[in-house]
Amino acid sequence: MSLQTTGLVGLAVSHNPHERLRILYSKILTSLQTMPQDAAYRKYTEQLVNERFNHVKSEPDVDKLEKKINCGQIEEVIFQAECELALSRKMSDWKPWEPLIEEPPPNQWKWPI
Amino acid sequence: MAASLVRLVRGGLGRSLNISRSSCLLQQQIRAQSSTTESRPTVRPKDGVAHNQLAAFGEYVAEMMPKYVQQVQVTCYNELEVMIHPDGVIPVLTFMRDHTNAQFRNMIDLTAVDIPTRQNRFEIVYNLLSLRFNSRIRVKTYTDELTPVDSAVPVHMAANWYEREVWDMYGVFFANHPDLRRILTDYGFEGHPFRKDFPLSGYVEVRYDDELKRVVAEPVELSQEFRKFDLNTPWEVFPAYREPKEAPPKLEAGDAPPEKK
Repeated sequence: MSLQTTGLVGLAVSHNPHERLRILYSKILTSLQTMPQDAAYRKYTEQLVNERFNHVKSEPDVDKLEKKINCGQIEEVIFQAECELALSRKMSDWKPWEPLIEEPPPNQWKWPI
Repeated sequence: MAASLVRLVRGGLGRSLNISRSSCLLQQQIRAQSSTTESRPTVRPKDGVAHNQLAAFGEYVAEMMPKYVQQVQVTCYNELEVMIHPDGVIPVLTFMRDHTNAQFRNMIDLTAVDIPTRQNRFEIVYNLLSLRFNSRIRVKTYTDELTPVDSAVPVHMAANWYEREVWDMYGVFFANHPDLRRILTDYGFEGHPFRKDFPLSGYVEVRYDDELKRVVAEPVELSQEFRKFDLNTPWEVFPAYREPKEAPPKLEAGDAPPEKK
């Protein structure tokens, strides 16, 4: 018998999680390609996504895959991937790997005054 | 106390990270010593594991977004604070919400602090919660009376009323807020009551006028003259945050050392 519900409001059971994750992860990786090589965001996210992508490729069973990824149910993992994809596209606009835009004024973060 | 406040001041990333690592190591040694000798029940026990996790995550955030993060620190109560430039409110909050290793999807609180002596007198504080990793983070930025800050409503719906509250109480303007109007004060109220220069008694008082048959507002009349109290505590208030004494001036290469008597 297949899974009826995730038990979480607004999160429906996914019937083809592997396919969905494969699409999302390849999209994230393509979007990361546009960033400079040494950007920390690209480095760490590629590492993270590749690790999960390898699990998805090597593990056909959903329950075992959830255990291997260890970040909640597979539907939650899909949601996280969707968020990461949206974020990586926004990051290309913001370019947060550039140097600090402005130093804080002197004593701005000094506490107690 | 002062030793447990690890500051990762940004400036030359690699160098500052190395310094912070070594200070973390130093930290552990100090903690190891103090946990072995510390048996007094009134002293808060140190949680080294949580502290190091937070410090590591703080470094991770600072490395990811060097454009916006000015400083990262872990307070002595194991709270991670990320100080950012006001332009980075939307990017940093979105990163905290959407990045897989952060997932700070809930905004617990948004408020401001007024420190009139500073060049940018208002600190805006965002408290975030990650249910996935059961951890909290505090993001701080700054502004003055005239500079608008980007509204956090596109990222967190919860920010809507909090920002109205900050606007009402401190007069900080939030750009792109969908509905920025007063929320806590009375209709027609003037001024921002949580500013440090707002008098405790306010500017107007209201009473019911029997002739006009309505409530009227009049300027406050105080029966007592204003008195200045010079109440300085004789105790040192923050001994843990004592300023380090200035080092003796360094000698130039050609200078002769001062004669000792």
